[in-house]
Amino acid sequence: MSNAQTAQNRYKADLREIRFLLFEQFGLGELLGKEPYASWGEDEVNMVLDESYKFSCDVLGPLNSVGDRVGCHIENGQAVTPPGFKEAWTKLYEAGWKSVGVKTEHGGQGAPMALSVAVEEFLSGANVAFAMYPGLTVGASEVIDHFGTPAQKELYLPRMFDGRWAGTMCLTEPAAGSDVGAARSTAKKLPNGKYSIKGTKLFISGGDNDFTENIIHLVLARVDGAPQGTKGLSLFIVGKMKTDASGAILGPNDVALGGLEHKMGINGSTTALLNFGENDQCEGELVGTVENLGMPQMFKMMNVARIGVGLQSVSVASAAFLNALEYSKERKQGPNIRNWKDANAPRVAIIEHPDVRRMLLDMKARVEGIRCLIVKLARHQDGFVVNQGKDDAAASYHLGQVDLLVPLVKAYGSDQSFRICETAIQVYGGVGYTKDYPAEQYCRDSKIFSIYEGTNHIQSMDLVGRKLGQNGGANLQAFLGDIGKFIAENASHPALGPSIKELQAAHEAVGMTAMRMLGWFQMGQMSMVPVVSTRFLEMMSELAVGWLLLVGASIAIEKTKGLADGEEGAKDRAFYAGKTLAAKYFAMNVLPGVKLKAEVLGREDTSSLDISDTAFATV
Amino acid sequence: MKILVPLKRVADPENANKVKIAAPAGGLAPKIETTGLEWKPNPFDEYALEAALRLTENGTAVKARLGEVIVVTFGPAECDQTLRGALATGADRAIRVDVTDDQLDGDLVARALAKLVDQVKPDLVLMGKQTVDSDSNQVAQLLAAYLGWPQVTFAANIVNEDNKALKIGRVADGGQINVRVQLPAVVNVEDRVVNPKGVTSPPTPATHKYADGVRFAPLPAIMQAKKKPLEVKKLADLGVEAAPKVKYLGYEAPPARKAGVKVKTVAELVDKLKNEAKVL
Repeated sequence: MSNAQTAQNRYKADLREIRFLLFEQFGLGELLGKEPYASWGEDEVNMVLDESYKFSCDVLGPLNSVGDRVGCHIENGQAVTPPGFKEAWTKLYEAGWKSVGVKTEHGGQGAPMALSVAVEEFLSGANVAFAMYPGLTVGASEVIDHFGTPAQKELYLPRMFDGRWAGTMCLTEPAAGSDVGAARSTAKKLPNGKYSIKGTKLFISGGDNDFTENIIHLVLARVDGAPQGTKGLSLFIVGKMKTDASGAILGPNDVALGGLEHKMGINGSTTALLNFGENDQCEGELVGTVENLGMPQMFKMMNVARIGVGLQSVSVASAAFLNALEYSKERKQGPNIRNWKDANAPRVAIIEHPDVRRMLLDMKARVEGIRCLIVKLARHQDGFVVNQGKDDAAASYHLGQVDLLVPLVKAYGSDQSFRICETAIQVYGGVGYTKDYPAEQYCRDSKIFSIYEGTNHIQSMDLVGRKLGQNGGANLQAFLGDIGKFIAENASHPALGPSIKELQAAHEAVGMTAMRMLGWFQMGQMSMVPVVSTRFLEMMSELAVGWLLLVGASIAIEKTKGLADGEEGAKDRAFYAGKTLAAKYFAMNVLPGVKLKAEVLGREDTSSLDISDTAFATV
Repeated sequence: MKILVPLKRVADPENANKVKIAAPAGGLAPKIETTGLEWKPNPFDEYALEAALRLTENGTAVKARLGEVIVVTFGPAECDQTLRGALATGADRAIRVDVTDDQLDGDLVARALAKLVDQVKPDLVLMGKQTVDSDSNQVAQLLAAYLGWPQVTFAANIVNEDNKALKIGRVADGGQINVRVQLPAVVNVEDRVVNPKGVTSPPTPATHKYADGVRFAPLPAIMQAKKKPLEVKKLADLGVEAAPKVKYLGYEAPPARKAGVKVKTVAELVDKLKNEAKVL
């Protein structure tokens, strides 16, 4: 390793905060002990939180900077991952932390998603580059579980869920990034029912590793004669190795590792260029039995992956915040501002300086805000599972909220994550820019989150173009309705009144802007939509975050009333005060921006469309 | 092999500065204030549990239990959590003797354990060499005396010889003393016993290397922990009278460290080391 930061865990999480969200704000307790979560009780949830956190700190955390500094390379056509990754993979699957939310029929524990997202936050927060390998493996398994034939499920799922085989998703090609439909990979049906796969895939996360005997690539390719564009794409299961029906490895499957990217961050994760069928010997199986369903099938995985990116975002941002907080309490610099004239005044920890406090509270509010979005999404998913087949209206409501929240979780979460990491570096000052402290790595690692799994602009177009109008607009109406109800019930809240007023203004601004955009669609002013969609996604996310933080604050204020005096209740009292002030900070400092953005957006400024290419610069 | 492992929860040593002494009131003895403390299992007891698990399994197939590990603790109902943690880590069943902390001292625990041994009939009592709260280092020795069993203290490595005797390397000043002890026996362990090669026991192949330290509680075992038996007993069930011999007269914080002195010359330093510190 090239510098002072060696194999040492820097990861930390605030378990009190996680427990607050799960049990006090989002009512996980209501789900426990009942089908389909009958085997889960509060004790199990708490033990899982404690143990998976301990595992993340002890096993994955120490490898985070190792993975970053050493990175991955190729030897003899095979990727070599950073030292310790192979052992960590084995330990991860022995400990079972990738099976928390996996269905019991596949050997998992079938936990509520609200719990499994908490566990995932620890795994990713401790080592986001490492966590990509198992994360994509679960994503690929779920596609096969959902769309595969019984024989495919039998062959692949047990091996992928227990970590013997890994998985990837292969969409991107050199000329087909965001424009997936431009993919040129081909599939030709063979007499044995399989397909001969040919093509080059690029930017494949986990595309190769040295810890599993096989890797199951899910590859988008076009069957000969299929239509152009996304409609003609099919999804194929393509092993790195050829196997027989019993899973025995027969030999290589003509999948060649063409290269690994040299990246800004997530250096412990292989980002591979894969050549399929260079020697016409690469065989794949169609997922399921019907061709040209590749996009809807891949979207199943994309949805899981987008939520996963939101999780990565909060994981890394939270680690950056808590590390910066720790440093701010240790580092002494300058006197307290009250003593600014006194050259002999005692030096104070930088957390005493007002601007450092502002940055810390800003990070806290944003970290906890994006975490709220994810836990809320997960809780709606659980609500859908519980009500499915029993209460159609409730199931549809919950599923609608999941759909609506996915782009917010992915795009707002990842945009905020990078900015929170940047603020963390600022709290450290000069040493934050060095590799002696973890903040700079968090910042580099987090940048990719706004790009992969559909750039954040694609997320905003998904929100505006698909999700707002989904179910005839019912999902959006329900979302705004839930917020409106909270505002009405708390308009005269003695402590939160002014914050609720800000929430109300933001609520009106979002509703009004949604209507304005609908008008653009109706009047054919389509070019305005992509100009403002990113801003609209941010407005809607800030409204949601402001709301959820204020819900948390109102709970915290209630709970404070029941606390014991003195030492006994001191810890909880401080925690609840933190929840309340973070919510108030967000409401008073961020929510007013929503209204402002609505006004700006309403001016329909078209400068960025009007400017010609040559007018940008004279070079 | 059947092994009894006594466990104690202790105030998290990383937060030891939060331990406060409650002012004695109304003629009561002074007491350590336990509200607001965070609890965790005594680390040496965790090492004992890990060693016990290694003695009752094949390290290459740990899911199949080849012996029985019974964990026991003394304390109020909250201590069930400590026991559940041990069950999730791999212990087979648990016993809690229902008492409050202020009813206990090392001697009483040893007498109660001796009675429990009569009931449970283990081949081995394996325990931590001390707890990191009061650091008494007494219970194993007292227990062996009450039982009339051989004892080995400060075990750093354990070799199981056919479940009838153990060859134990115990830590001593400047080296290690190797002893053989016939079972049944009382053994207490120190931290080196959880080294990858700290415990050697058939049927684990001699080539097998354990991970360093204590094992993690795996998810499936956490889910099963509630289904494992946890029995609650009273001191009276063991025929032991709750009469501790140790009385706490008072608590005092260690004296604060004095500020250091800056010396100007080497000669001054040598002088101070010689005449003040008297180390030269």
